Amino acid sequence: MKNTLIFLTAFLTFSSYSSFAASQNKVKPAAISQIELKNFEALDFPYDKGESGLLVWEHTPELEGAQFSVLVSTVSDKEGWIEAVKFSAGENTADKINLPFWSFNKNKNKYAVALEFNNILSSQVKEELNYFAKVKIIKGKNISETKVLSSKIKGNWFRADRLNNLIVFLVVTLVFFIVVSHAKKKGLFIRRIAGLDAIDEAIGRATEMGKPIFYVPGIGVMSQISTIASTFVLGEVAKKVAQYDSYIKVPHYDPIVMTVSKEIVKQAYTEAERPDSYKEDINVFISHDQFSYAANVDGLISREKPAACFYIGYFMAESLLLAEVGASIGAIQIAGTDVDHQLPFFFTACDYTLIGEELYAAGAYLSKEPMLVSALKVQDFGKLVFMISVAVFSLLLIIGAKMEWKGLAGILTEILKVY
Amino acid sequence: MSEGMIIFGAWIAAALTLFLFSFLYKDNPFFKIAEHLFIGAGMGWYFQTIFYKIMIPKIWEPLHSGDPFKIFMVVIPALLGLSLITQFIPKISWISRYGFTFMMGYSAGMAIPVGLATDFMNQILGTIEPFANFFALSGWQMFNALAIAIGTICVLFYFFFSVEHKGAGKKVSNLGIYFLMIYFGASFGNTVMARFSLLYGRFDTLVNYSSAKYFYATSWILVGLTLYFVAEKLITSAKRETAE
Repeated sequence: MKNTLIFLTAFLTFSSYSSFAASQNKVKPAAISQIELKNFEALDFPYDKGESGLLVWEHTPELEGAQFSVLVSTVSDKEGWIEAVKFSAGENTADKINLPFWSFNKNKNKYAVALEFNNILSSQVKEELNYFAKVKIIKGKNISETKVLSSKIKGNWFRADRLNNLIVFLVVTLVFFIVVSHAKKKGLFIRRIAGLDAIDEAIGRATEMGKPIFYVPGIGVMSQISTIASTFVLGEVAKKVAQYDSYIKVPHYDPIVMTVSKEIVKQAYTEAERPDSYKEDINVFISHDQFSYAANVDGLISREKPAACFYIGYFMAESLLLAEVGASIGAIQIAGTDVDHQLPFFFTACDYTLIGEELYAAGAYLSKEPMLVSALKVQDFGKLVFMISVAVFSLLLIIGAKMEWKGLAGILTEILKVY
Repeated sequence: MSEGMIIFGAWIAAALTLFLFSFLYKDNPFFKIAEHLFIGAGMGWYFQTIFYKIMIPKIWEPLHSGDPFKIFMVVIPALLGLSLITQFIPKISWISRYGFTFMMGYSAGMAIPVGLATDFMNQILGTIEPFANFFALSGWQMFNALAIAIGTICVLFYFFFSVEHKGAGKKVSNLGIYFLMIYFGASFGNTVMARFSLLYGRFDTLVNYSSAKYFYATSWILVGLTLYFVAEKLITSAKRETAE
């Protein structure tokens, strides 16, 4: 009995002490005070598709050493808070926002936090969205919160951040119209391009031998520049074929390219005053599968043994497969593509190869059409601007690096950057 | 898949591969079989892809959704697409021009701003960017930055068609060609290596199919092809001799 009493006394003493100690050790939650940030605003992110918001406030001395936690909610101003970003004072200033200087005030003394809701909500924002935001400021043991602000995000019709792109486009368009008017008054000079001069020779040879000419426009679709350039060349080749009363065959990979090519060849035969020589089977559809197309064109070349083969347009792995077979039957071969990693194969297997820009120039060079020649001249204008820009800006940047002109690189970068 | 089907598949794969390789010797009926089968299979695959991945989900389903907005958004592109088919009817083939004009305009509209942005402005920026910290670069990095800038200018000058390339211009243009050839050489080597790896893959499959497990598929087909070519050569020679 005595032992039991001693045990119970000890147990009660220990229990009461434990409860007391626990009550003493319990940490009181820190009180969250309200704070006013200077010029604190919730905005729609400017010049975007409507997927981001923007929180801005000014830096003040009392924010030194603070940590910011930006909380957002798309539910209400009371619940559903998600921590969008957490950062220290001095980070996420307005100059870090990915917008150029002409479309956003890049004040380093201002905080600007882009709220990318696609990432925050882990789902695609598809329509206008209201959001609530507040900032929690942690400085040592003190935690304070701002009032809740709300704003609406929406897509913008005009992208002022892409103004540089628009200006370049307008300048190019203006130059184009000036050059067109000049080209119509008096012809414009284009230097000799050897590969294109050989076209006449190839067609002439095919005519003399009484063999067909194969024109392969490649596996490009109509939106590809090389395919568009190829159709221009096809027009000129078809015109010459019609004049010489030779025979051309154009095997196609893409049905739309085939339809466009049909119109072009028909037009070329009409312009050559040989509409009766035009045949519907000049343009043939082969396959929309790359290698079955290549296999069949190879088969056609080896069976029909053309005297001249043109591979002009967009080509991928089938370039050598086609050019090899053409070379094996002894055809004169002219190739042209802007796919740079296929050009070496054409160099090895063809007699003449048009490299990239030469292909774009081909239509203008062959037809001497004022509109096409003007387009070529505008391209040259672009190249000239490019060369001068690279030379002048490089020198400026080297001098700037030596003289420590801070900001020069930043300005140039923003002018040339594509947003 | 049953064992029998696997063996059958191996025979088909080995046969089609060897039939296509037989073109390296010369055009022959086996190559023609593989060629036409290839075209048919390719087109069949393409048709079902278009049908199930585009026509059903992008046209048929929105048209039957009952939502007027969705229907409106599909009707105009669908009509423009259908206008292309009028090419088959000469009397109304002019309608197809609307579809083609839209496609050409849309493509140009898409391509021009992207082209200006990536091929022009970004390219200039990429070329000049290293010069911003030029004196902080190592010797090799300096050489690299200069080589890229000079190479870019020289190669562009090679493609400059408005002036005759003579005198100093000729030298700049020739330097541009050297830069191009260095690039093409590297690109050629790289692509050839990739092609060889594809060829090894094919050879590996053929060797695999020549095992007892597949009843020596590759070996039997190879023997058959060789016999055909020998017989064909003998018959052709005999015919030629008879004709002479």
